[in-house]
Amino acid sequence: MKKFQSVLCCTLTWVSLLSATPWLHAADPASSKPADTVLLDAMSAEMHRAMDSLGTSGAEAQKQPKPYFISYAVSDSDSFNMAAQFGAIALSRESRRRTADVQLRLGTPAEDNTHGDHRASALTTIPLPLSDDRTAIARSLWFATNRGYAKALDSYLKVQTEQQVRAKEEDGSADFSSEKPATAVLPASSPLSVDSDTWQKRLRELSGLFREYPDIFFNNVAVQATTETMYFVSSEGARIATPNQVARLVILARTRAADGMDLFRAETFEADSLAHLPDQKILMEKTRAMATNLAALRTAPVTDPYNGPAILSGRASAVFFHEVLGHRLEGQRQRGDNEGQTFTKLLGKPILPSFISVADDPTQKSLNGASLSGHYEFDDEGQPARRVDLIKDGTLETFLMSRLPIAGFSNSNGHGRAETGRMPTGRQGNLIVSSSKTVSDKELRQMLIDEAKRQGKPYGLYFEDISSGFAVTTRRSTQAFQVIPLVVYRVYVDGRPDELVRGVSIVGTPQAALTRIVATGNKQDIFNGICGAESGSIPVSAVAPAMLVSEIETQRQAQGNARPPILPPPPIKGGDKENKR
Amino acid sequence: MKPFWNLTSVFSAAVLLTATLLSAGAQSTSQSKVDDPMLKAMQAELEREKEQLVLPGMQQPYFIEYRLDDFSSFEAVANYGALTREEEGRQRVVRVTVRIGDYKVDSSTGRGDGTVQLAPQDNDAAALRYALWTATDEAYKNALRDYSTKLAALQQFQTDRMESDFSRQSPTVHIESLRKLELDRREWEKRIVEASGLYASAPEVSSFASTIQYSTANIRAMVLNRYLVNTEGTVLRYGLSGYNNAISLGSQADDGMRLARDNGSVAVTANELESWPAFRKQVIDDLKSLDDLRKAPVVDAEDYHGPVLFSGDAASDVMNRLFVGNVEADRPDLGTSARTRGAYSSSYKARVLPEFMSVVDNPLETKFQGRSLLGAYQVDDEGVPGQMVNVVTNGRLDNYLIGREPIKDFPSSNGHGRAAPGAPGHSRSGVLLFTSSHPVSPQDLNNQLLTMAREQKRDVYAVETMGGEVPRLLYLVHPDGSRQLVRGAVFDELDNRSLRSEIRAVGNDPYVNDSLAALPQTTIVPSLLFGDIGVKRATEEQQKLPYYPPPPAK
Repeated sequence: MKKFQSVLCCTLTWVSLLSATPWLHAADPASSKPADTVLLDAMSAEMHRAMDSLGTSGAEAQKQPKPYFISYAVSDSDSFNMAAQFGAIALSRESRRRTADVQLRLGTPAEDNTHGDHRASALTTIPLPLSDDRTAIARSLWFATNRGYAKALDSYLKVQTEQQVRAKEEDGSADFSSEKPATAVLPASSPLSVDSDTWQKRLRELSGLFREYPDIFFNNVAVQATTETMYFVSSEGARIATPNQVARLVILARTRAADGMDLFRAETFEADSLAHLPDQKILMEKTRAMATNLAALRTAPVTDPYNGPAILSGRASAVFFHEVLGHRLEGQRQRGDNEGQTFTKLLGKPILPSFISVADDPTQKSLNGASLSGHYEFDDEGQPARRVDLIKDGTLETFLMSRLPIAGFSNSNGHGRAETGRMPTGRQGNLIVSSSKTVSDKELRQMLIDEAKRQGKPYGLYFEDISSGFAVTTRRSTQAFQVIPLVVYRVYVDGRPDELVRGVSIVGTPQAALTRIVATGNKQDIFNGICGAESGSIPVSAVAPAMLVSEIETQRQAQGNARPPILPPPPIKGGDKENKR
Repeated sequence: MKPFWNLTSVFSAAVLLTATLLSAGAQSTSQSKVDDPMLKAMQAELEREKEQLVLPGMQQPYFIEYRLDDFSSFEAVANYGALTREEEGRQRVVRVTVRIGDYKVDSSTGRGDGTVQLAPQDNDAAALRYALWTATDEAYKNALRDYSTKLAALQQFQTDRMESDFSRQSPTVHIESLRKLELDRREWEKRIVEASGLYASAPEVSSFASTIQYSTANIRAMVLNRYLVNTEGTVLRYGLSGYNNAISLGSQADDGMRLARDNGSVAVTANELESWPAFRKQVIDDLKSLDDLRKAPVVDAEDYHGPVLFSGDAASDVMNRLFVGNVEADRPDLGTSARTRGAYSSSYKARVLPEFMSVVDNPLETKFQGRSLLGAYQVDDEGVPGQMVNVVTNGRLDNYLIGREPIKDFPSSNGHGRAAPGAPGHSRSGVLLFTSSHPVSPQDLNNQLLTMAREQKRDVYAVETMGGEVPRLLYLVHPDGSRQLVRGAVFDELDNRSLRSEIRAVGNDPYVNDSLAALPQTTIVPSLLFGDIGVKRATEEQQKLPYYPPPPAK
């Protein structure tokens, strides 16, 4: 499962930062409804009853200790999904769910039932009534809490036994940080409103466009919208209602070169609601451009091994920073004996050129008018979102922290995030890369050509689009990052036109690439997407300027050997002329 | 134990029902030109692929089948008297099967070959053909690879398999009207909300409401409209449907033993589900029986070997577990000489039940004692007309139920190739009916049990309901006819030998067990009196009681 998660890690595709972004508006507070205090009160009452009733004191306390912490987090969400393939609707679904995550901890914050590999033992998930039926809500929470207590108890005994037999741990940090509980009842999310007929038409049109490209044998156009209100109460006194809402449109297309190389492109568009997604005209243009590019890739020459200068576009460097740097700055990765701890020993030391700084700022709703998907008010442990300066002037300052402490960092910085049903861990929100050494795109390109000449290369590389790969950071595996370049051009030093190549794959170690940044562009690009890791799939953003690196090593990717489809696609109108290759 | 939050995702659960193709609504036509845009698109693409699909230097397929499964579902779930989930789904998938070689030896692997692709919900012929085109391309390439692997594997064996890989059947054209999902959702939501809250709201049971740990009710509705064409000329369109209301209740005895009751009704149409008064009564009875079970003694610690009377309900679960799968012909692995897989692989023409028992499978039997049967069908999912098969005659196994993949002595299909939505076809039962040449009344059966108790001078057992393999409602029956509910028992030595040798008498009270599992199937079994079955105390660990009491009920 973990493996699967990491392979899917960060299917981040980006939203281009158009200079004018007509579709973006701030969320309209007038349309939201008040938070559901009946639900909050029912949660609070049942949580207190559990705290008061569970466990024994005195001589028996060893066998059935009282919990030192309980939280109830309820996600009240409406969601809508629709997908089209081959020009027709293939899937359409709306659902309303209320799901409770019950977290229960036994022992002490210094050592509790979640220690080591037992993180999940604190969590029990259960569906709740969709209506405000207090009796049924309370009984559901009781059922889950009772189950949760049994699970925590079992795990706590295991933790105690394991601690007795094992050697001293490298990182003796506590299991749960001490934080000030927040109280904030914000308005609930505005109800989901979907014009299903219009979306059917729009998706059919977008997907149908690929019929003009007979070599693109698969496409999928999916729209998804969720409005969620998160309700959170804890035995520490937290009482929070906080809205989250997102709408997303993903366009995916696949083809296969004659030599068997599989090729794909994806475009993602995000906004805070369906109404704020780009209008159809822009989507059609983007889709057509993507399809044209994919068709061109199919016949583009295959790359040769290369070691030289390259530019990553803003979109590509945003993905790169998210994967290569962001994931490795997640606090818990510095803790486990199995984790890579790439940056643990580098605190206070320069890890990037001094003109680069990196922050994660979930409090930021938008940038230059474009919405940022990684925005939230409170994290999934009820902590207020905070801007965190991870790297200042090239020097590593801190990590992305949940309430799981690590050596040197005993507190959360508001980055404890999880999908419903998972234990929160330190995760990215809006990762923002800024630079003090910026040049125009034109100058950056000239710098690439000059650098290539200096190194005696006939061309430099321009990475226009890269897809996520998987940020594998366990010690057993190689540390090589696995971003997959999708669109790469050769930029010739002799003035020939740029040439699209396919099959490029990057070799090398992350730190190396990061330290070789020579200069950056002067515009920041936004990359909005869904990122998957241990604590599930969550919306994130990465923001970065284009960057020139003095040296990047690439090789030809390993490729499939399946043939492209044998027959051309079927004719569009039954019985009409057949497609010919 | 049934999970408390019972998420059945539309497709993963592959829950599909059946349908009776009754005279009403179902119409057959023998014309192969059918005016259905989906079937036309499927035929057009099939025609094109059949003519043109070939990799240079390789074989063309000798058989291609296209199946479009259009699956609609609705489910609502209530817990503790409140609705927790309501979801409707619609999904269409195409399944493409391509065979290379010939009927004698082909590319099939027995794993269920073929490719599945999401299909358009719109009746968009071009999009459907696109989906078929990509799926066919993939299925053909896989079949080429499987075929060469198989030819290589066959080299290792001294003797060839005598049976063909695929039986020849005449093409069938069978067109029915499409089915619609028809359910009064508001009414049923009201019912499940109320049913799941009865533990607290009904005066006759509310005194022990605090002992009920979970109470879940649900309503499900599923409709499958299936379209099928193949290169032999078969053209099918038919509908299947199934509806199910259910209650699931759980408690614990004071010693920590988990106790559960699950009940409900299954039907071909929503109108045939149980009425609200009947559903309500069922829930109340289940709640009362849970309370009885809590107070019931644990079964004797010493082993028992002797007579046990199974109700039709309990007996049908036993037959589903021990008998049904073993008469469904599954091909054995390449290179083995067995006839089929399972306990009856070498029991052809041998006695498997007592001489006074016979078993037939008749999917054409759409009704039994006035009610529609879930497992009935006219044409199976490989396009072979359903037919009545004498499975067991006077105790002797005469026929296996089989689809188009032959086994030894059974070279062709007898109309039992069946497929769950999106899944490949396998040999499966339809409506399996167990009968006796000397049925007796339930009263007589009980008298026979008591006679045995008196002759053996001891208490005996009767089981009313099973929960999986273990008895849920098991009674210790005293020679004077009085009964005591006991809990915590498992059966021992209840196996195919006991089906053959220990059934002493059979009731005249057939119980219809409609199953909504992977496939819609019906098994009809009367009460059975066994002469010698083991009853022992379950050894499973007792669970902890709740660590704190539930919140007060309404």
